[in-house]
Amino acid sequence: MKKLFFFPILLGTLLNVSPVLAQSQYNIKEMTPEVQQALEGRKGRFDELSDLKEQGIVGENNRGYVELMTDNAAAEKLVDQENHDRKTIYATIAKQNGIEDEIETIEKVFAQVQRDKAGDGEMIQSEDGMWSKK
Amino acid sequence: MKKYLTIFVLLSCIGAVGCTVKAVGDPNRPITINAHVTLDIKGLQNTATNIEDYVRGDAPKEKILDNKGDSK
Repeated sequence: MKKLFFFPILLGTLLNVSPVLAQSQYNIKEMTPEVQQALEGRKGRFDELSDLKEQGIVGENNRGYVELMTDNAAAEKLVDQENHDRKTIYATIAKQNGIEDEIETIEKVFAQVQRDKAGDGEMIQSEDGMWSKK
Repeated sequence: MKKYLTIFVLLSCIGAVGCTVKAVGDPNRPITINAHVTLDIKGLQNTATNIEDYVRGDAPKEKILDNKGDSK
């Protein structure tokens, strides 16, 4: 009898709390044309960018963006496009999850993920600003 | 039985009050509430990982969307 009585209370409490827990998910809530274009753009240039990283021409900085390591006009255009798309994705996550003030944190978290995923020999910038080969 | 009913009513009240913010004051002088939002860094890391996996072709688009079925 006690269990039967407390079950609805427990269920009610969990339902009350679940929206709060759900807020810790920072996924893309709505696939807008802008973010769709940014994602597909990044996907499309991934191989070319990886080649440039392997050659040491491009590195991953500590703010979640790619950076030119040496002068290279062709690579510069690619870097600009990549960073533009990344900015769109970061801004979309911030806006759609109501954390617009945390854009720098989002950038830093992406930078950490990029460092983790970087291949051996690729240039990465640590949190303290030092560049090194992974 | 009355004891359980009291507990139930009490818990319901706590739940209702906990989810409601009531602002009382002069409507001409709006109250500013400075809320501190604590970010779930682990949640952000998961999001970032999913997106980077998608860019690399290692994950489907559904993984980066909040509504898993809303893949366009």
